[in-house]
Amino acid sequence: MYQAFVGLEIHVQLLTKSKVFCGCRAAFGDEPNTNVCPVCMGYPGVLPTLNRQAIVQAYLVARALDCELSESAVFERKNYFYPDLPKNYQISQLGSPVGRNGRVDLDLGGSRRRVPIREVHLEEDAGKMIHAGDVSLLDYNRAGTPLLEIVTEPVLERGEEAELFLQYFRRMVRYLGVCDGNMEEGSLRCDANVSVNRPGKGLGSKVEIKNMNSSRFVKKALAFEIARQSGLLDRGAPVAQETRLWNENRDLTEAMRSKEEADDYRYFPEPDLPPFKPDAAFLLDVEKGLVELPSARRERLVAEYGLGPDQVDFIIDEKSRADFFERTVALGADPLAAASWLGSDVKRLLNREGVELAESPLTPERLAGLLVLLASGRIHGKIAKQVLEVLFAEGKDPETIIRERAWEQLIDAGAIAKLVDEAIDANEKAAAQIRAGDEKPVGFLVGEIMKATSGRAEPQLVRSVLKERLAKSR
Amino acid sequence: MELKELYVTASLAQLDLSDEEAETLSALVGQMVEYFSTMREIDVENLEPTTHALLKTNRVREDAVVESAAADTLVGNAPESEGRFIVIPNVL
Ligand SMILES: [Zn+2]
Repeated sequence: MYQAFVGLEIHVQLLTKSKVFCGCRAAFGDEPNTNVCPVCMGYPGVLPTLNRQAIVQAYLVARALDCELSESAVFERKNYFYPDLPKNYQISQLGSPVGRNGRVDLDLGGSRRRVPIREVHLEEDAGKMIHAGDVSLLDYNRAGTPLLEIVTEPVLERGEEAELFLQYFRRMVRYLGVCDGNMEEGSLRCDANVSVNRPGKGLGSKVEIKNMNSSRFVKKALAFEIARQSGLLDRGAPVAQETRLWNENRDLTEAMRSKEEADDYRYFPEPDLPPFKPDAAFLLDVEKGLVELPSARRERLVAEYGLGPDQVDFIIDEKSRADFFERTVALGADPLAAASWLGSDVKRLLNREGVELAESPLTPERLAGLLVLLASGRIHGKIAKQVLEVLFAEGKDPETIIRERAWEQLIDAGAIAKLVDEAIDANEKAAAQIRAGDEKPVGFLVGEIMKATSGRAEPQLVRSVLKERLAKSR
Repeated sequence: MELKELYVTASLAQLDLSDEEAETLSALVGQMVEYFSTMREIDVENLEPTTHALLKTNRVREDAVVESAAADTLVGNAPESEGRFIVIPNVL
């Protein structure tokens, strides 16, 4: 048996309106090379200026990862030549990044694993290249958009753990509102380093893996790579220190062309940007952005509302969903009913309509209204589902819907008594049978009344009034 | 300076040096490197590195978009373009 050491290097595109060092729009899907200016295109004589929102978000993530926050974050030039980099250097951080020595306590389903975070640093993204036959097409709209890099220590041992970490991390940045977390579109990217060795022997040769654009691919790629390296060690073959790419079509990692010499980026302090020194007002803004994180919220929702494990996982997966849930409960809905409706009927309708909860006609006020109607017996379960359907179709309040359609359950004793009398008059034979002590036709008469009221009469009430009436006249 | 080192440095800077240029440069660059080694002898123990002499305070801007007026000109400056893409020989 071998021991595997996996470290992750995660890049997140921060959600700012403009680029990190110039005012160009930071948007995706625009016409190529429309969001470019002399600063992000690396023209001589220009002056980059740090985007305050980007550095707030960078410190916020570092804070959420329990990092030591830098008192002086220094920007440096990382020099290399590649056509996606118009300046021939990337503004990044090396010696004094935004945050260092953080940690995540990862829930591995039963056990916990502390994952130390080596560092969090802010840098600029590169442009995009499309390779087409003899040529490559360059689009620099992305060049200079803010990118945050997070590096973990190599303490993960299996593909599943890396997947869990990534899911945790993705949820966290979405809660913080700093990244949309879309791995397929590349707004969250993950590379990994893997080494395998005999237990107690420390790290083996380090292999970098790239091109895993979903958390599932991270799991599969790492499982493959750990098995591949273990196989080499079994045969006594050396593991080459190299960079490999995940091939999602063939389910394996492939060696990239290896470079002969080690990278030499010749970092030096960016002369155009002063080190950033957070002051009290800045740190206050960072604290303001620090929302209750998913793991803490999970624990609180279980303790406060008694949600089950699957229920709570579903509720906290999205911050907007958890907020919706708590607002609904605050408006008087039963927590378990609210969680169960959100996880079943509401989810089904959202999927069917292809909309997000936040954009749907359902609001916490409306869901709470519906659940209160149900809990107080004014409507019954089947009608409640129909109300939800109408609510989605017409965007009206539950009260309005049941009034317009006369769906409110009949619980008025006088009205029920009248219905019962009518049913007895119309079904002399059945009534006589009951009077004679034969209870069999009771169900039939209740059914007739339910039919006459399109299911609105409260069945228990109908049954008891009916028995009372027929007992009395005996 | 060793010639080999000079060639590595030149290749990092994407410079092609002829043998003649390398000969001339190695002496000159060697001299520069010597200046640096003199600087290295200074005792900087317990001194915070000075990255900037003049920029002492934070300089940030609010996160606001400034429409780029120069975008078309910048694309136009490229030796070759296709639509709004800048075109280069395939580098893959
Ligand atoms: Zn720009």
